[in-house]
Amino acid sequence: MKKFALLLPIVLVLVACTKPEKPTPPTPVPPAPNTGTLRITLVPEWEGQPLQFFTEYRNFMDYRATVELVKMYFGNISMVEGTDTLLVKDVALFDLANAATVDIPVPEGAWSTMHAMLAVPAELNYADPALYGSGHPLSVSNGTYWTWATGYRYVMFEGRYDADPQSTATLTSAYALHPGMEPSLVEFGLSPSSGITIVKGQTTELQVRVAVDRFFHSDEFQIDLATEHTAHGNNIPLQWKLVNNVVKSMSLE
Amino acid sequence: MIRGLHIGLLLLLLVGCRKDPGLDTPEQDRPFALELPPGFSMPPIPADNPLTEASVQLGKALFFDTRLSRDNSISCASCHLPDRAFSDITAVSVGVDGRTGFRNSPTLANVGYHTRFFRDGGVPTLEQQVIAPIHDPVEMDHNIQVAAANLRDVEPYRRLSLLAYGKPLDAWVLSRAVANYQRTLISGWSRWDRWMQGQASALNPSEVRGWQLFSSEALNCLACHGGNDLSDHDFHNVGQYLDYADPGRERITLQSGDLGKFKTPTLRNIALTAPYMHDGTMATLGEVLDHFASGGLSHPARSPEMRTFVLSPQDKADLIAFLNALTDERPLDQVR
Repeated sequence: MKKFALLLPIVLVLVACTKPEKPTPPTPVPPAPNTGTLRITLVPEWEGQPLQFFTEYRNFMDYRATVELVKMYFGNISMVEGTDTLLVKDVALFDLANAATVDIPVPEGAWSTMHAMLAVPAELNYADPALYGSGHPLSVSNGTYWTWATGYRYVMFEGRYDADPQSTATLTSAYALHPGMEPSLVEFGLSPSSGITIVKGQTTELQVRVAVDRFFHSDEFQIDLATEHTAHGNNIPLQWKLVNNVVKSMSLE
Repeated sequence: MIRGLHIGLLLLLLVGCRKDPGLDTPEQDRPFALELPPGFSMPPIPADNPLTEASVQLGKALFFDTRLSRDNSISCASCHLPDRAFSDITAVSVGVDGRTGFRNSPTLANVGYHTRFFRDGGVPTLEQQVIAPIHDPVEMDHNIQVAAANLRDVEPYRRLSLLAYGKPLDAWVLSRAVANYQRTLISGWSRWDRWMQGQASALNPSEVRGWQLFSSEALNCLACHGGNDLSDHDFHNVGQYLDYADPGRERITLQSGDLGKFKTPTLRNIALTAPYMHDGTMATLGEVLDHFASGGLSHPARSPEMRTFVLSPQDKADLIAFLNALTDERPLDQVR
């Protein structure tokens, strides 16, 4: 009894005086059961060949043109099967010059379509960007944020051009087409013929070919860089042409 | 013997488990005592950004720090000069590498009362406004996340950031601190204010006549320049141009009816904030008065509040005397 009485305070001292445990770094959240990964990769091309950024091409109007930057947001990415729709990712940014791949956890199953908007969803578009650290799709470090309008450029398409096909001068005229704001919001769906099958613990690839040469023209809209080279939220008709052409430029392998 | 041991161990328990004094926070933040002019209400304060001593101290230090610009050459104060009521003396301010913007830097006086920021109102919060000049290629041409990371371990930023926001300096802290410092830039201590509060000797007869003209129905200035801030903080086209190079509010709303509309500037400290108008193209108050007396050009979006009126030379002198009486008699900056 005496021994116990002696030990008890010692134990108390030892236990009570231990330093508070340091907060442990957050451990990765284990994937939800029955979840696989959908890997979306955007592959930029020019007339069927891999796009070389900063390389001179001829566009559909025979203008000399380079492509120097292509970034785009997919928002509210959802998996669709029949009448079922499952939101799997709020927003993803693809920088086509730098490994445009995004991994998204998706419940296993067979889906027919990946659906998204070529935009940042409104509730995120107008949130304070200071909330997002580097690496987040909505970080200001991505260079996609319009500080003057507190919103994001849904698509950034930039390069240089010369409307004179005969010229050999260095390309100096710049084009910068930056659709943003609600009037230029379009939605689209990608439906592989074999469907999108997600298997628990495995990665399913969805490779999307992006024909950047088709950004300038589609069956519906043509963009003449000589007069349509700038859109910073202010030229809605031109923004509308571009976002529709971008959607039409996407195809699946 | 055992009782003695127990007492000793208990003492150890009580004494030994005290917090390490070195780990204590020696300072505690406290609310900033914002001084308000008579009749002014407290500016709205966001729930996630209480106005505290440490936050405004931090914000002030950042406001004057050129390290917020890419080449360490430009601070907020470079274009918002304290002795010019936090406006600039040039038509358009000069940023890094000598680049120039396209709008005149407005005074920051009473900016805490605004609900939309910039001359076109494109930004809804003061916190988000802070990001814009840091990223603008013709202003600081930097990245707020990089700027914050570079200053994170530098004093006083390390200490004040922890004290005010409980975490190291980052973009979130930086934007909030600078916003809070701007909220403290209150203007409402001019001779005209004293006169309005009943001190008849605060204005001379010419200034009183100027106020009477200003507040007359014929001139209709109060339609937009009323209230404590002598501004409705709304957006108006005043017929400055028939063809606006700068679309103004239309850039944000995409509505043609908003073409050439800009936020009504406060008239407080107007003697210090030349040049005038959204693009700084009018050098003197006389030019501004001439423009408004003309009723402005017949732009389709011109405000219906614009009137034509005739000013005698004495009227004009009185109006300018009144406007000059809107200068604060004390510094705007309350953060010591």
